[in-house]
This record gives sequence, structure tokens and C-alpha cells, in this order.
Amino acid sequence: MEFLQPADWAEALAVKAAHPDALPIAGGTDVMVDLNFDRARPGALLDLTRVTDLTDWGTDGDWLRVGAGVTYRRLIDELAGRVPGLALASRTVGSPQIRNRGTVGGNLGSASPAGDAHPALLAAGALVELASVRGTRRVPVTEYFTGPKRSVRTPDELIAAFLVPARPGAEQFAKVGTRNAMVIAVCSFALSLDAATRTVGTGIGSAGPTPLRATEAEAFLAAELPWETRGAVPESVAARFGELVGSAARPIDDVRGSADYRRHALAVLARRALAWAWTDPGGAV
Amino acid sequence: MTITEVGSARRRKEDARLITGRTTWTENVTLPGMLHLAILRSPMAHARITSIDVSPALETKGVVAAFSGRDVADVQGALPCAWPVTADMVHPDRPPIAVDEVKFMGEAVAVVAARSRAAALDAIAAIEVDYEPLPAVLDMEAAIADGADLVHADKGTNKGYTWVFDSAEAGTGGDAAAALDGAEVVIKRRYVQQRLIPAFMEPRSVVVDPTGDAYSIWSATQIPHILRFLISVVTGTPEHKVRVIAPDVGGGFGGKLQVTPEELIAFVAAKRLGRPVKYTESRSESLVSAHHGRDVIQDLELAARRDGTVTGLRVKLLANMGAYMGLVGPGVPILGAFMYNAIYKFPAYRFECSGIFTNTTITDAYRGAGRPEATYAIERLMDELAAELGLDPMDVRRRNWIKAEEFPFTTVCGLQYDSGDYDKATDRAMELLGYDELRAEQQRRREAQDPVQLGIGISTYTEMCGLAPSRVLGSLRYGAGGWETASVRMLPTGKVEVVTGTSPHGQGHETAWSQIVADQLGVAFDDVEVLHGDTRTSYKGLDTYGSRSLAVGGIALYNACQKVLDKAKPIAAHMLECDPADLEFTGGQFRVRGNPDGGKSMADCALAVFAAHDLPDGIEPTLDADAVYDPVNFSFPHGTHLCATEVDTETGRVTIRKYVAVDDIGKVINPLIVEGQVHGGIAQGVAQALFEEAVYDADGNLMTGTLVDYTLPTAADLPSFVTDRTESPAPDHPLGTKGVGEAGTIASTPAVVNAIVDALRPMGVNDIAMPCTPERVWRAVQGGAA
Repeated sequence: MEFLQPADWAEALAVKAAHPDALPIAGGTDVMVDLNFDRARPGALLDLTRVTDLTDWGTDGDWLRVGAGVTYRRLIDELAGRVPGLALASRTVGSPQIRNRGTVGGNLGSASPAGDAHPALLAAGALVELASVRGTRRVPVTEYFTGPKRSVRTPDELIAAFLVPARPGAEQFAKVGTRNAMVIAVCSFALSLDAATRTVGTGIGSAGPTPLRATEAEAFLAAELPWETRGAVPESVAARFGELVGSAARPIDDVRGSADYRRHALAVLARRALAWAWTDPGGAV
Repeated sequence: MTITEVGSARRRKEDARLITGRTTWTENVTLPGMLHLAILRSPMAHARITSIDVSPALETKGVVAAFSGRDVADVQGALPCAWPVTADMVHPDRPPIAVDEVKFMGEAVAVVAARSRAAALDAIAAIEVDYEPLPAVLDMEAAIADGADLVHADKGTNKGYTWVFDSAEAGTGGDAAAALDGAEVVIKRRYVQQRLIPAFMEPRSVVVDPTGDAYSIWSATQIPHILRFLISVVTGTPEHKVRVIAPDVGGGFGGKLQVTPEELIAFVAAKRLGRPVKYTESRSESLVSAHHGRDVIQDLELAARRDGTVTGLRVKLLANMGAYMGLVGPGVPILGAFMYNAIYKFPAYRFECSGIFTNTTITDAYRGAGRPEATYAIERLMDELAAELGLDPMDVRRRNWIKAEEFPFTTVCGLQYDSGDYDKATDRAMELLGYDELRAEQQRRREAQDPVQLGIGISTYTEMCGLAPSRVLGSLRYGAGGWETASVRMLPTGKVEVVTGTSPHGQGHETAWSQIVADQLGVAFDDVEVLHGDTRTSYKGLDTYGSRSLAVGGIALYNACQKVLDKAKPIAAHMLECDPADLEFTGGQFRVRGNPDGGKSMADCALAVFAAHDLPDGIEPTLDADAVYDPVNFSFPHGTHLCATEVDTETGRVTIRKYVAVDDIGKVINPLIVEGQVHGGIAQGVAQALFEEAVYDADGNLMTGTLVDYTLPTAADLPSFVTDRTESPAPDHPLGTKGVGEAGTIASTPAVVNAIVDALRPMGVNDIAMPCTPERVWRAVQGGAA
């Protein structure tokens, strides 16, 4: 196995172009698991930990741009106010050691339906910035996932960053797991309520072949929420929203949980996330 | 003698090296010319090996040898079972490497020895095996139905044994069947103890070094002495040519109370190749091939009067043995047989257990071994009885339990409980929990139809510790005794070496043993070195399991110390020019009674015997002493654990709000070590209630083969425990200790499940299968029953 270790971003892109089969590795919290279990035997590993550009974040017009190599720990410590939903999700990732190493870029690279960051990115309407020697493109995260562990990223591309609106809405994240840490979620749900645009964003994890949006639920809730009065959300609206989220999921039965339970739990999580987000529009913690 | 060390919360002297890893774990042992082994394991639960070709592995870089079960069939021997619980127990030979048939997923089928671990692992992928699938036997009830497929076709049955205890037949109590027939109330339940995996922290590892005709074996084992004996017996190697070393060992929980295929494979490989070999398992290999625990179906019938007085209990078990009989596996349910009556005065009792073969990994001892199953069953039943009768579950228990003034009490099983005070421990636990306030809150939540309901779970337990009086073990057909040994060696400078036959793997024996010696001999805690685990220094012992080390090994040590004192006394008297009868040993000094000045310490005596220039006539110039202690009885710690859980009826999520443990383990040598045992034990028992389960699919594939799927709890899943103790000293020996290694695990599982069921009982729920995952709890709420 070859071990490729570019010193900067330009070299990383060149190496990736020359070795399209090389598996990028940053924190290694997904890649090393696959190697350990002999599920992956890549011809080459492309180590991105020396590429310092990937660990920066800053604003880019109306967007907040976060380098693909920013760890969960830094999202929690440095960006909790700017990406509140993602920061909440980050707190549930693995263990402290894994949060110190794992990155959102890696989560997007694996494109697992259970990736903890994905629902929050979907709810926030994030963009994924992909780069290659051919150029750079920004793909809405809603179009990024194409199947289980598959995405629109081409073999010569690397994930440079993700972007979210610089002024976040009220965001929440909730998940059900078989334990509190170091676990693959049974299902997870992220919500973003943007009072300025009166739009609703959702993201569902671990309940379909890819992370999913509940578009019908979003449209329903955007139309029904008392944006003007900020009054209480009618019980029936919350319940219907939950149902629509549950029915948007495409879960399977597996050792972690049944499809029925996942739909039900998503409905409960959605209803609760709505209550939290509506009553605490700051969202940030 | 002044007691200063015993009872003090000494930090463990072994921890610095264990925590930093600057010590000898078996995996750290590296010998010149050593080869590394990798094991190819069966991907199928049950299949005939139609062909196997290891030669492609030999062509792989770095490989020195490769062999299959057929290549070593005549020399590899069979794995031992030390506990044939009945005279006619079916005990199929278990080859370390499968020869013609694989009988569970993860069974070894071939071995590669290479110059590096990586080369060995790469090479096993090249081995070609053809399997012809056979029907996998997985369900215990199907396994004993007529016409069932067989795990061992040549045995003609999947039933390994049936073992019965009946108090009427034994003359220790009445007839359970009669009690049930005439009962005012019968509570009939089936509980399932799911399959668990011990999941010790340090994976198993073994190094075998052949030198001349002798073998040195390092192994991450709990049982170096038993391993030495059985390696000798199984391989035909003279016992004095076998040395076993259990260096520092990282946990066991019973999971390393085994003679493993891997140990025999390494032995066979080292012998065959004439070179040292090492095998260390991966975590995944450990989960699939190290022995599992529990996996018992319990059919229970409790007879009672309407006032809550229990009149009889009948227990029928199916215990999953896995594909073969483990070292003590058949006996594990038998260890529980005497505990179903728990702390209660049941007049009639019958227990029947059948050990069943299935195409799964073997089961064997796992923390508590039989006693958690028994405690779970009876503590769940007492709650069900209370619910049936509309009585408070604690009142029902009080009505039935043995009162403090009734000890020693002979139970319906014929055991004599040594001491205890169940009222005292319970009262303290209820006070610490705030039992009445929580009951009031529970009522409020019920009335408000809060989506999050509150439940209170009770577990009043006892257990039999201090394994074990050798005669009792003999009567149960166990293959060994239950004594333990200790040696005390006084060095000329006054320092002390202790050799113990116990084999700590995380328990802190070095600290606790040092505390005992320090007090007995009046030496400094730091001046005591405790040696263990190497059969060259500790040639005799019965190792560590069953909460026995302190309750048995500690007494051997105490007795050895008394012998040292007895030897030192005439020497001190000679130096003090007085009659030994006039001496007393106080404050670490032999002094003339009534004269506080001018005493002689153990160090003075040690130097005197070293020089031996001026000893009394006829005195052997040594203070060293050995002692072997065979307990006269088990010890019976007890306690009351109370658990308050919040149960989210919408998601099914269970959160432990408060957990109180009041344990009575007799006298305490080191409260900090006790606290650690209680915390870890509770965590492990909570894990059975809420998190852990080894799951096989319909083909016999283990679906929980990683620690992502086999969900051990983390600190984030557990509350801060509230702990306290009452103290009923063990009356049978001078230290008064009873044992604490398993108490938390035994007590906590029913406390948690009782709490969950208590929260949901108004919704019609009276049981939830373990582990009580959010989904199962939610389903119970939906269905009113699990």
C-alpha cells in the first residue's frame, strides 16, 4: 500500500489526480475502521493532515466556509454559535478522542447514511465544496448523496470545505442510540427554522439509504408555523409534522432497530426538536 | 497488634504500572526467534470441512509453517472440562483446531506461523477451505425437540445433562410440587438471560517458549495454576516441565477462567516448530471465540399465600452450553441452583437444569456465574408477586426474608448462611434513595400522564462467595478443591515477600495483601512485595474467580503471618532475654508485657535469623511460613440495591435517575478497592439490563462481533452511584471478609429491570426482555407486554 502525504492543497489535488484510487484520510475515524476489519484494502492512502488550508474557517459572503479538516472538537469549541445544529450533532459523535480527530470532511467522504454530521448539514442547507485539478464546484448537500456510501464526488476530487448560511436559523439535533456514546445512531433528526425567510430545513440520519430531507414536512411546517405571532405551535401541527418526518424516512430492519421503530422515533424526535427550536430560537448552546 | 492499614483507602500500588502500560502484558513478551501465529476461523456455524489446503499460505512471504486440524489431529489433544455435573454428562471431545467439522462460527480451522504478525494475518487469507454446510442448531427448545438436527451427530442428542435439586428429596425442605398444587397464588413466568460477552479489556494472548523438553507459557489467564495442571494432563507433558506465567492480566470477569484452544494451539505450534510462538487475538476474534456467558431460559413458578408469604418455588432451566462443554461451563447454572431462594425462608424448592448444545460459541463463567441469573429471577418474581397481590414490593420481601437474629440460618438448599442483617441494609438504602419522596413523585407523574414515567426497582440479594469448601466441590463433582495458599518470606532487611496462589487480573491483590501483612507483621505497607501468577514462584494455588481471593486466599495469608509471628517470638524472647510467654506483639514490636520500651521488631528478628549467630537452641534459622486454607463454609455477602429510572414512554429511552447500593460484604480491607468493585459490578449488571446482547442470526452468524454492535456501556450511560455499606463480619475466619467481586453485577440487573417495569406497570406492562433497549421498551408500552 502506498502512503501519499502531500504538503499543501495544490499538491494534494495533483496527487489525487494522479492516484484517483487513493483513499483520502484525515482523522481516520472511519477509514481505519474499514482497514482494521479488512473491509477496505486501498492501493494508496492520501494523508491530508499536513494540508493546513483544510483546517481553516471563515466567512465567504453570506456563507460560513469551514475547511474539511476542522475537527468535531473545534466545531464545538469555536463554532457552536455559528453552526448550532452541527455543534449539537458533533457533541454526540463517538468519544472525546474521536471528536478530537474526526472531521466533517471525513464524514462527507464516507457518505454513510448514519453520518452524524449529515442531518444537520441537510437542515442548514449546506453546500459541499469539491475540488480537483480541473477546478472547484459547490454542490448543495441535498444533491451530494447518491446512495449508501456514495456521493457525486468524482475519483479525482477532494472535499475542500462545507458552507452554511452565515446567519443560522434556530437549529436542533436529536438522536436515538443504543447507548449515549460510541454508537451508530438508530435514527437521528436535525431541524432548522429560519424566521427571516420563513423556511424550514430538516435532515434525517440512519433511516434510509442516504441521509434524507423530509421535504413534505418542511413545506407543511413552513406554511403552518405562526411566524408572525410567535405563538405556540398547535399540537396538531407538531403531530402532523412528526408524522410527515416519519413517513419521509426509508428505514430498514437491522440489528440496531426495526423500520417501524425508526419511523416512530423520528416522529417523536421531530416533534420535540420543533418544540425546542420554536421556544428557544437562539438554538445555540 | 495495632491495626492501621486494614480499613484504609490505600491507592493501589500496582496501578501506576498497569495504567501506563509499563509492565509485562503477555503481548509485550518478545523472545529471540519468536514466530507469530494467526488463526483462520470458521465463517460458518456448522459445516463439514470437505477439503483444506494450507500450502498457498506457505508460499506467502515470511511464513514458516501452516497447519490444519488434520495435520495435528493426533497430537493436539482435546480441551478439558473440569466439571462433569452428572455421571452421564455428554462431553464431546473438543479439538483445539477443528478436524472434520466446524461447530460454531469462529472455531479455529487452520494456523499459520510467520516471522511477523502482519505476515501471518496475510497468509491465512490464502488458505483454501471447502465447507459443506450442515444445519445449524441455534434455538434451545428446538434443539431438544424430537427429530432435531444435532450439533454432535455421534452423540444422538443435544441435551448434555439434566441436573436436579429437590428439597424434599434432599431432606432440606418440603415438596415444591405440593406447595404449588395447594397454593393460594401462583406466579408463573419465563425469563430469558440473554447471551453476554465478558469483553475483558486486554484481549487474550499467549506465548509458548520450548526449551529442551520444558515449556514456558505466558498467558493472559485468570488461572495459571489450573492451566499448568491441565496443559500437562491434556498434552501428556510432565507437570514439572511446564511453567505457566500469568503476568499482569487486564481483566477477566470469568472470561479468562478457561483453558483455551489458542493456548493449546500455541503449545502445539511451539512444540512442532521448536521455536517460541506468540498469538494475540484481535478484539473481533475475542468477541466471537472467547467464551460467552449467561444464555439461559428460566421457567419459574412461585407459590404463595395471599398475605405474600412464599410457600414454594420451582425452577426449570435450559442453559445454552454452546457447541461444547467449557472448563466449568456445565457447572455455572449449578452455582446458581442454591441461590434462587436468595435471602428468603422458602419452605420448598425444586431446581432442574438441562445443559443444551447449540452451534454457537461455548458459554462459561461470567461475573457472578449462575448467581446473577438466580437473583434476577427471584427478585423479578417478588415484584410480580407484590403486584399480583397489590402489596408493596418491599413489604413482600420483608415478610419472607431471614431476620438478623435467625443467623446462622440453614436454607431450603441446605446451605448455612453465615451472617447478615437485611433490614439494616434495606433501611439505609431506602433512606439514601429517598424512597418515599420518589414514590410520591411517581404518583404525580402517573396522574399527570407525563410522557416520562418514573419507576423504582428493588433488588435485595445475597450470593455465595469464597469458593469453596473442597468437600462441597467434591460433592458437586467439580474436578478440583477450593483451598488457597500463601507464603510469607522475611528478607534479612525486614522487607517481606508474599507469594499468593491467587491470580489477580485487576483486583488489587498486591495492595490489599500488603495491607494485611503490614498490620499482622508490623511492617510498612511499602515494604511488602506480592508475587503471583508464575508457577515457578507460586507453585501452588487455585487462582482467582468467584469472589474467592480475599475470602480464601486472604485467610491463608493471615494464617501464614501468624506462623511467622510464632516463629519470631522465641527469637525475640531470646534477644530480650525473657520468656516467650511474657511477650506480646504490639505496634510492630515484641515487647515484654507491661513494658512499652525496648521491643524487637520483625526486622530485628529477620536479621537475627539471617545471621543465625545467636539463636535459641533447636530453632530453625528462618521465619518463612506457608499456609493453605480450605474454607469451612461459603461466605454470604448481601445488600440492597435500589434504582430509580425515568422511562420515556414515547421513545422508550431509559435513564437511570438514581442508583443506591448498600452492600454488606463483612469486614473491609480497602474501601477504595471495594468501591471500585461495586461501581464496576453495577456497570456490568446495568449493561445486561439495558445494553448488551450477543445476537446470532438464523444461520448462526454472530451479528454483534464488534464493540459498536455489542454495546458495552460507557461512563456517559451511567449515573453517579450512591454507595454505602453495613457490616456483618464473616464469623468463620479471623479477617471477617466475605468477597465483593461479583456483588454489583448480581444485584443491579434486577434492580434496573424492576424499575422499568414499575414505571410502566399502570400501562399493563409486566415484563420486558433484556436488554431493555429503547425499541423494546417502546414496544412494551405499545403492546402492554413484551
